[in-house]
Amino acid sequence: MVRFKNRYVLCEVVSEDPRCRQCIEDRAVGLAVRDAIGRVHGDYGLACCSISFTVKYLNAYTGTVLLRCRKDSYRLLCSALPFVRQLESRNQRYPCFLNTLHVGGTIRTCQKFLIQYNRRQLLMLLQNCTNEEERRCIQKSLLSCSLTEEQSQSGDEEDDDGTETD
Amino acid sequence: MAGFADLNLPQGPDKKSLQSLLEAAAHLGYSAVALNHVIDFKEKKQEIVKPVSPLELFPSLPIVQGTSKRIKVLTRLTLVVSDPSHCNLLRSTSANIRLYDIIAVFPKTEKLFHIACTTLDVDLVCINVTEKLPFYFRRPPVNMAVDRGICFELLYAPAIKDSTMRRYTISNAISLMQICKGKNIVISSAAERPLELRGPYDVANLGLLFGLSESEAKAAVSTNCRATILHGETRKSACGVVYTVKKPRKVEEEETPLPACKKVKTQA
Repeated sequence: MVRFKNRYVLCEVVSEDPRCRQCIEDRAVGLAVRDAIGRVHGDYGLACCSISFTVKYLNAYTGTVLLRCRKDSYRLLCSALPFVRQLESRNQRYPCFLNTLHVGGTIRTCQKFLIQYNRRQLLMLLQNCTNEEERRCIQKSLLSCSLTEEQSQSGDEEDDDGTETD
Repeated sequence: MAGFADLNLPQGPDKKSLQSLLEAAAHLGYSAVALNHVIDFKEKKQEIVKPVSPLELFPSLPIVQGTSKRIKVLTRLTLVVSDPSHCNLLRSTSANIRLYDIIAVFPKTEKLFHIACTTLDVDLVCINVTEKLPFYFRRPPVNMAVDRGICFELLYAPAIKDSTMRRYTISNAISLMQICKGKNIVISSAAERPLELRGPYDVANLGLLFGLSESEAKAAVSTNCRATILHGETRKSACGVVYTVKKPRKVEEEETPLPACKKVKTQA
């Protein structure tokens, strides 16, 4: 079968400043990643990687980003991701960095990984829970996360119940 | 599978920033971390102080993401040597040096690099990434260091901060790769703030930039670090380590089957 093969890179935006969360938008993240590729690999690298480069999925609450690029140039992209230092949007700059979680060939494998990862995060949050109410909320969402057949818009991952212990 | 380790976290005087660094490292998935104390002989004579035990500094260590164990914190000493007389400190039987888990040396001249690789009793040799190397690597000392189990260390925090440092880092790293073929390399951060740390997957991708193959780059973050930690432990404890392994008992086939009572006697 002749088709274009892509690679999907799943990353997490980690930052110290809680206001950075509202700055996470697809345009800002795409610009930051393109800028880092341009700085590290030059014009050639930037041109190669931007053939099929988009930000496919973004979750501002957990800071999860899914990027897509061509299979031939995913190494250029992955090796430039550590050099992303800040996100910029609406004239505001926040220092942050990207942590690569998973590289997959399809969105479905990345989604499966993300569900497992979020489940582990929820378990760790459960350990740090102090309130009985929060505990029940988290346990309910842990039991209900799964990959169902219906392709809903945002996938079937969980977002945190607002009880982030950063 | 060896866990990921970051062997160079500069030890500043501020306890809170160290705590936030440790939490960031645990969140990213590092199972062992070494706090680095740098001694530079160019300044006035400094005393080698006893390493502060990590248990005193941090009452509760964070749990590593993905496992259920706490992060391991080791102590490390780096000596910046620019003169052969500075190495005497290593040869002297000063009690304080023996207490550190890992000892690293940062040679500034070719002669010192040769001495560090061949005779000095260290675990890591740091490679300068912030300026153009004043000497070229030669094959004999590098091969001797690989035989002795000494690893070469590259830092990546200067590369993230500044663009000229990035060029020096990449050129020095690639010239090292051409000589040592990617063996015994350790990549570590010298991160002063949690924002300068990068996850182990990302650091392995950085290794690709330095000319390593993918398996060598992953080994640079996990297996070689574990080898260095073990090397430091053997240096602390004894001149060598003896591993005992139980050999499976060979069942010999006999031509004439012995009656049961006799078999029990011979086996007991």
